[in-house]
Amino acid sequence: MITAYKCQHCGHVMYPYHYRCVNCGAREFETFAPSDKAKLLTFTIIEQLPWGFDERGRVLGVIEFTNKVRAMALVDVDADTDEVKLGMKLSVHWEPVRDNYGEKVYGLVCRPA
Amino acid sequence: MKPVVIAGAGMIRFERRDEDSLVDMLAMAALKAMDDAGLGDHPVDAVVVGNMASGLFNHQVSIASALVDKLSLYPAAAERIENGPASGGSAIKHGYQAIASGMADVVLVVGGEKMREVIGPRATDVVAYMSQPEAEYIYGVSLPAMAGMFARLYMKKYGVTPEHLAQVAIKNHAHGLLNPYAHIQMKITLEGILTHPDSVVGNPVVADPLRLYDCCPVSDGAAAVLLTTPEIAQTLGKKPPITIAGIGQATDTHALHEREDPTDLKAVTIAAEKAFAMAQCTPGDVDVAELHDAFTILEIAESEHAGFFAKGEGAQALVAGETTLGGKLPINPSGGLKARGHPVGATGVAQAVELVWQLRGEADERQVANAQTGFMVNFGGFGNNVIALVLRRDS
Repeated sequence: MITAYKCQHCGHVMYPYHYRCVNCGAREFETFAPSDKAKLLTFTIIEQLPWGFDERGRVLGVIEFTNKVRAMALVDVDADTDEVKLGMKLSVHWEPVRDNYGEKVYGLVCRPA
Repeated sequence: MKPVVIAGAGMIRFERRDEDSLVDMLAMAALKAMDDAGLGDHPVDAVVVGNMASGLFNHQVSIASALVDKLSLYPAAAERIENGPASGGSAIKHGYQAIASGMADVVLVVGGEKMREVIGPRATDVVAYMSQPEAEYIYGVSLPAMAGMFARLYMKKYGVTPEHLAQVAIKNHAHGLLNPYAHIQMKITLEGILTHPDSVVGNPVVADPLRLYDCCPVSDGAAAVLLTTPEIAQTLGKKPPITIAGIGQATDTHALHEREDPTDLKAVTIAAEKAFAMAQCTPGDVDVAELHDAFTILEIAESEHAGFFAKGEGAQALVAGETTLGGKLPINPSGGLKARGHPVGATGVAQAVELVWQLRGEADERQVANAQTGFMVNFGGFGNNVIALVLRRDS
């Protein structure tokens, strides 16, 4: 799972890591794991993917975890893309999201909760 | 700072150019700008090349040195400036700084990209290298996908419809038909790309809600401007010099999800404000604008963020014809990225070239009447590095 960062000076929550806080520039952070539940803030259904993907209808979205961490994620709806709605509740998992010359790359994968 | 003018401008047609190498394209555009300025044997102090990915697309680096060599401009200083899709705007800024600081008197700025050397999915992948590696790129995100996620939110928040997006494409393709340098020379209709049941065949979804005609084509091309001081421009003296009146630049978070409001293109707002402040004018003074419509939604969003229309009113202004040639504020008379094409590193320079032609009154059929002040936005990344320029013809 990803690691999120909470600024010890202003409380701002960040992902991914920055050497200085996005909000106040401070350098001390507390690390924590996002929850396993999130909602979908926006999404797209990609029909023409970059080189390296042999598929269509891949759903990517921006999610917000219940503990306020935000991230981009893959939304797995078994090709039923009509099911994807703004604001929908999601369960979040850590699973392979792409294959890099035979090596699995892990990322955030969401399914309708 | 010393004032800086554009004394010469030129470009080659954007299209698929299998016969020309990248450096050939840069050289062809450069010669046009040099001749346009009437440079003759006057020395060039520096050459600045805007280019995003020659190493990846063309297996060639140090292309600014290669260009100096092709043009036999030794011992001119030479650098390539890489700032993603804003490489062209950044190259102009660097040329400006060299002259304004007194370090150089004549700077040749050339933007170019040769993308069609690789197949489409490879080009999409190379362009996606600008996304956040661990938090975005790994998921297979493309720039159309970023724009798709942005568009979905923007459309919901401001009531922008697929028809509004189509109208941007229709307008810019109509403008592009008047521009011999535009890649796509084709009239499109609302029926053909949106309302007819068969339209989905010719205009398939790329990254929902964006379809093919919401996205710029993948192009090869180059454009160039020759920068100098007003005094030297006067001695060359063939064309009225165009003053670089304002330059603004701003950055934002790399990852789209880290923006408090992902529909807020803060870097566009700040870059535009800075450019207008430096030029001591306001959006109301602008006669013609070139905005970075890599995706139709971006023309609407940038027209609002740059201050031409209130948030949510850009689409209405478009539908009312205000941004069409002949309207109150023509946007993208060149056809924009949508029709002219988007050879990434060339775009910012091509926008400036179009403004120079408009401000001199040399834009032929697409001329904006009495244009005196021009404005452009060159949008890098997905809005995380934006350059805005104000150009002016001094009467």
